[in-house]
Amino acid sequence: MSTNRIDAYKTVPEAMQALMAVEEHLKKSGLERSLVELVKMRASQINGCAFCLDLHSRDARNNGETEKRLYLLSAWRESSLYSEREQAALAWTESLTLISQNHAPDTVYERVREHFNDQELVNLTLLITQINAWNRFAIGFRYEHP
Amino acid sequence: MMMKSERMDAYKADPDIAKLMLAAEEHIRKSGLEPALLDLVRMRASQINRCAFCLDMHSKDARRLGETEQRLYVLNAWRESTLYTERERAALAWTEALTLIADTQAPEDVYEEVKKHFSDAELANLTFQITQINAWNRFNVGFRYQHP
Repeated sequence: MSTNRIDAYKTVPEAMQALMAVEEHLKKSGLERSLVELVKMRASQINGCAFCLDLHSRDARNNGETEKRLYLLSAWRESSLYSEREQAALAWTESLTLISQNHAPDTVYERVREHFNDQELVNLTLLITQINAWNRFAIGFRYEHP
Repeated sequence: MMMKSERMDAYKADPDIAKLMLAAEEHIRKSGLEPALLDLVRMRASQINRCAFCLDMHSKDARRLGETEQRLYVLNAWRESTLYTERERAALAWTEALTLIADTQAPEDVYEEVKKHFSDAELANLTFQITQINAWNRFNVGFRYQHP
């Protein structure tokens, strides 16, 4: 990973370890890998993180995701390519990523509740706050994708 | 931690989450950044993200540590005020840029200004504090935690 600003991994390794511990927890959370990558991609699209889009599109493709579902992801509301569960998760992802604008409305919350049990939903939420954290590090410090 | 939420008690649904988040806070607490500065950062992000629970908690924390009422009341409009040091102003601008990352993309002028006032390690830890409060804001707004 290269950067024009600060390499946080070298500068504050303990902070990065704290973030990696969250990643480890998420890996064991039981959320589907395909769903996890869609959430990471969608948040990174909204926040404009090129480094993250490059990384997670590779991860998604390596995990068997189709090109088409990645290309259409920005417009998931207009497409039938995503399951009801994925759509509910994507709506929750958008509302939490843009929290200052929409305040996580009841309609979005009720919809995601229908498709996720309590533990899945809090881990989905952690996944969203986590990719939002990575986006801010990667954009804030101008990480460059390969 | 006694917390009431209108939706779900997220920290109870998976207790590991609060542990992981609090471990991150512990790292930031030991980072050497001034507690008064950290509270201003937490307050400003929570204002932008409109987290009442967080504003209540961090205003109490700030006041307990000796922060003035005036600096908390005027914080929304810090750019127009002389109450904040150059270092605080640089941190507040960085807080706003990262909190509203989808709109701002963390611009050069804000980065250059904050670099003048913080060492690399300080700036990386300040950034971590900003991502952390943004995470707490999303949990506490997302699950509708109620302030006392």
